[in-house]
Amino acid sequence: MRRADRIAGAALLAFAVAFSVGALRHYTYWGASGPGSAFLPFWLGVVMAGLAGLLLLGALRSSVAGPAWLPRGEGLRRLVIVLAVTIAFVALLKVVGMILGTALFLVALLRFLEGYRWPVALGVAVLAAGANYLVFTYWLRVPFPVSALGF
Amino acid sequence: MDVLSNLALGFSIALTPFNLLMATAGVILGTFIGALPGVGPVSGVALLLPLTFGMDPTSGIIMLAALYAGSMYGGTITSVLINTPGESASVVTCLDGYQMALQGRAGPALGVAALGSFIAGTFGVILLMLMSPALARWALSFGPPETFALMLLGLTTVTGLTGENALKGYMSMVFGLMLSMVGFDIISGDARYAFGIPEMMDGMDFLPVAIGLFGLGEVLVGAEEAAELRILQGRYGLRDVMLSAGDWARSRWAIVRGTVLGFFIGVLPGAGPTIATFLAYSLEKKVSRHPAEFGKGAIEGVAGPESANNAASAGAMVPMLTLGIPGSATTAIMLGGLMMWGLRPGPLLFEKNPEFVWGLIASQYIANVMLLILNVAFIPMFVRALRIPYNILMPLIIIFCITGAYAQKNSVWDVGQMLVFGVLGYAMKKLGYSPAALTLALVLGPLAERALRQSLIISDAGLGIFFLRPISAVLTVAALAAVAVPVARALRAAASRVRRAPVPAPED
Repeated sequence: MRRADRIAGAALLAFAVAFSVGALRHYTYWGASGPGSAFLPFWLGVVMAGLAGLLLLGALRSSVAGPAWLPRGEGLRRLVIVLAVTIAFVALLKVVGMILGTALFLVALLRFLEGYRWPVALGVAVLAAGANYLVFTYWLRVPFPVSALGF
Repeated sequence: MDVLSNLALGFSIALTPFNLLMATAGVILGTFIGALPGVGPVSGVALLLPLTFGMDPTSGIIMLAALYAGSMYGGTITSVLINTPGESASVVTCLDGYQMALQGRAGPALGVAALGSFIAGTFGVILLMLMSPALARWALSFGPPETFALMLLGLTTVTGLTGENALKGYMSMVFGLMLSMVGFDIISGDARYAFGIPEMMDGMDFLPVAIGLFGLGEVLVGAEEAAELRILQGRYGLRDVMLSAGDWARSRWAIVRGTVLGFFIGVLPGAGPTIATFLAYSLEKKVSRHPAEFGKGAIEGVAGPESANNAASAGAMVPMLTLGIPGSATTAIMLGGLMMWGLRPGPLLFEKNPEFVWGLIASQYIANVMLLILNVAFIPMFVRALRIPYNILMPLIIIFCITGAYAQKNSVWDVGQMLVFGVLGYAMKKLGYSPAALTLALVLGPLAERALRQSLIISDAGLGIFFLRPISAVLTVAALAAVAVPVARALRAAASRVRRAPVPAPED
């Protein structure tokens, strides 16, 4: 946690400074009639820089490392797999389509991560994809991306 | 009488078949969402918001408000039977509710919670109904300085109360305000921080952010563990949840105290149902003639907090509807929904959209009756639903996040944004930041900026204008005090080097 606080503090401090400088450089701080579009962003950056500085200072001074915040071992493996499969789904959304993608996503996680038997994984996948189609495509008429198969 | 004719209008709207259906869907889903550990009312409302786009805003808010009320009932089931809070407003219920269940008194524990919730929820709506129009009328006289001061108060109080670390709470809030600066500035027309990306010029969209932080973020936290829920076996059929005369005698005043306390805590900007339950529990313990029984299955320890959270969820609607300032994280999401439906939250809502406001109020009476029936007669059904393994629910929730983020504008960009905020939400939760404060700031940011700039334009005294007008002076001082208190506490804690017990972060 201490290391995470140091990194977050430093990153937010840099971000805040860039935010304020960017505001002053590109937008108007004070216009003819009053505060311009840079006014609040500039001060928000200043406040954030102050807060991030405090966090950084506290984390640098602190002598206790605090609890680890990232999971290890099995927990980390599960987190990474869930996240990776989700990212892959979103990245491929336009190729696989929403409905087919829903089914594939569920099969991938239920069969290969959670170890459910094929009938369970396929059953849940088909039901969920069907419900998704019914609610969003049929009822709410959301034009989902479709795969080459047409759904 | 004005209130009665408005209420009649409300019931004529709430009782249409479609709106009744939406209220029913809301209470059932809400109870279920409340009962599931890991998804609370905030995630529930964020996830269901996309479903309301095809509807009339009134039907949409009826469903979401019913869901909010339902989640306050449903959280109890998990607390009592599994000793795991279904959502943060039921944390204290674990203390005595689970003990009661261990002693074979799960039925009365669930029964008193349902009854207390019903009484508190109904009284909460009555107070909401009587108080809101007057508050809205008063707020009509607000100029930009008062509006800004009020928003400042909302932001600082929410932040001061959420999360275990005040510094990180404020950082989350300021970060949310910074994000709200992205996109076209209405006054100057500058496309701020958009980097030439068309999707960014419209601003940070609220919905993908909320779904990411509260939907995907929560799921990722849960994904680390493949835990199974152990449900306490017991009897909680219709006959078992009925209260004995002795139980009723012990709990009736606890219900009354919880109702009154909960409602007014809920009305305060920033303090939602969770805080109300903690205060109600300590109040019960203080006034009790047998404080030693608390923590060992005292029925007042269930009755008071469970009433308080329902009264508070009704109370939290008051500032949202009348002032456009949410009283809790869930109402912050609802406020975002209001804006997406094209309504302008604030005092004018009562005048311009009476069918919306009164339809909502009337539907809350109906929802509470439905919830009483559900939570007395159908508890075994919800218990069975809890047996659905979390590792099947988790991927389903992710699908819901992706679909919901896409459906608002049919945009894959939004899905990507949801994903980024999902990862951010996970990290924020793990590191002690406050996603609720970020969301609230993102919603209020543009409104606060406009009020601030208008105030400074009409001011002859610069920032002094906020202290020269009486209402805004009181609000501004209160907002500054809300910042000063945690700072003072932090300094004192640092001075004494005492490590305080961690306080669970409220998320409602």
